[in-house]
Amino acid sequence: MGKSMASAGVIAAEHAAPRKRFLSKAWRTRLIGAVPPAAAFILFVGLWEIIGRQFDIPVFLLPKPSDILNAAIENWDGLLGALLTTASETVVGFLLSVVIGVGAAIVLASSKLVERSVYPYAIVLQTIPIIAIAPIIVIWFGAGTNAIVFITFLIGFFPMLSNTLIGLNSTDHNMKNLFFLYNATPLQTMWRLRLPAALPYIIAGLKISATLSVIGAIVGEYMAGLGGANGGLGYAITVAATRLKTPYLFACGLSASILGIGFFLLVNQLSKWLLSSWHESELAKEN
Amino acid sequence: MEAMRNGLTGQGRSGEDQAFVRMSNLSKVYPNGTVALNDVNLDISEGEFISFVGPSGCGKSTIFKLITGLSGHTSGELSILGLTPKEARKANNTSFVFQDHTLLPWSTVIDNVMLPLSLRGDSRKESRKEAERVLEMVGLRDYTKALPRMLSGGMKMRVSIARALVSKPKLLLMDEPFAALDEITRQSLQDELLSIWQQDRSMTVLFVTHNVFEAVFLSSRVAVMTPRPGKISNIVPIDVPYPRGEDYRTTARFSELVGAVSKSLNH
Ligand SMILES: Nc1ncnc2c1ncn2[C@@H]1O[C@H](COP(=O)(O)OP(=O)(O)O)[C@@H](O)[C@H]1O
Ligand SMILES: [Mg+2]
Repeated sequence: MGKSMASAGVIAAEHAAPRKRFLSKAWRTRLIGAVPPAAAFILFVGLWEIIGRQFDIPVFLLPKPSDILNAAIENWDGLLGALLTTASETVVGFLLSVVIGVGAAIVLASSKLVERSVYPYAIVLQTIPIIAIAPIIVIWFGAGTNAIVFITFLIGFFPMLSNTLIGLNSTDHNMKNLFFLYNATPLQTMWRLRLPAALPYIIAGLKISATLSVIGAIVGEYMAGLGGANGGLGYAITVAATRLKTPYLFACGLSASILGIGFFLLVNQLSKWLLSSWHESELAKEN
Repeated sequence: MEAMRNGLTGQGRSGEDQAFVRMSNLSKVYPNGTVALNDVNLDISEGEFISFVGPSGCGKSTIFKLITGLSGHTSGELSILGLTPKEARKANNTSFVFQDHTLLPWSTVIDNVMLPLSLRGDSRKESRKEAERVLEMVGLRDYTKALPRMLSGGMKMRVSIARALVSKPKLLLMDEPFAALDEITRQSLQDELLSIWQQDRSMTVLFVTHNVFEAVFLSSRVAVMTPRPGKISNIVPIDVPYPRGEDYRTTARFSELVGAVSKSLNH
């Protein structure tokens, strides 16, 4: 992957000028904008490779980019399988945290009494480090996918809950009066006013939870991962570390970052699309 | 002049005990001790267009909060067609326009206008027809699909007015609806509001403003209020018959009445 990114940078640099007739101005600006980071990337990877070769650093301590690439190619099937496993755990855990987080926030926001009695405990729960309770989760769910998805869900859940709750509680006062004056039921006020008005807050929670759920899935795999074909990246990393297969460890780590970035960009795009048709805040940024 | 005045208010005056809105010895003290209204007495008859004028803080919005039941009065009596504010609200024949347009930013113009009808469960088809009718009245028939952010301030206020009219209210409460608009937009909205209202004058309008010209142009009576504690210090009848047109603004009588209201404001 280092290679493909490097070559993309080169293409951008070489062809940006002669191909300008075929590219819209926006794309040209984007390509030109991509040149400096691509150049920095090539420089960094190149230096790393050279230093590794010059100083003969042992591969198990710091593998060269070429070692990492080779390890990735050699173990391609295993790596891809692990990536897909982690990705699906991330998505399922994330979706659970979104649905349950928003749902719980709606329940809490529907009654001041419920909110005041339950929310303090939600905050306390949030401060408990997941690592500390992971063994209990393993005891409850047994090692494997269920426990991992639950850990992922738990990590993504609180940002969804608290963001949605803040959003639901910050509805414009005049709007609330309007609904009251037109005899709206609490349910109508929730669905037609408070929830849509909370959308920007929910979206902010979505972005936080998206990032956290990748971390959650990998941590879950550390703690509760089963070996074999369905091990996931977290499990592959622990195995590679104990066997000192450092290049493969790096390859797994890089794959995890790519998964994280990819998932975040996906959610980010989804958020933009959701917001653009609904809210002024997003539009104001664009023009 | 006297004949005109009788013609204007005769209908309501004949049934003095049938006041549309009745306030007697109405007082409101907020929990923090602010006396927002003190001993307000006012009968408003059906079909009247009455304005409340006064400096900010004199309790104009508080009167509306009491009428709508957003807030309860602390003493005295308040009835709307013999009903308590809460009962009157449940009867669904009151509408509101605030200074802030309070349109849902994620809903189209027509969906915003249909809101009061859809909240009470009217059929979508019927509501849409009504919404189109009132949007026609405010000159926005071509903007049904637009989102509020695409509209100017004046257009947003027109949508807000259309939303208030869509339920064919008997009572319309307007709290400084045009205060945020420029003078030209403001005048054209006054013209439109007046022409809509004077078509059949079936609506009783309570209109809060701190603009004396606006009050004299629109109303059949102007209630002048003074602060600390808030009370009605004077009621100026505007004895110019409806229908009134734009040219009314340039008449000598208009200036005279503006002068009279301003004078009682400064007392
Ligand atoms: N919720 C409230 N709590 C306490 N005081 C209030 C509240 N609302 C209004 N007031 C006070 O009551 C007085 C009248 O307010 P308001 O009716 O809004 O005046 P106006 O609409 O004429 O500007 C003001 O002194 C204001 O500060
Ligand atoms: Mg006010």
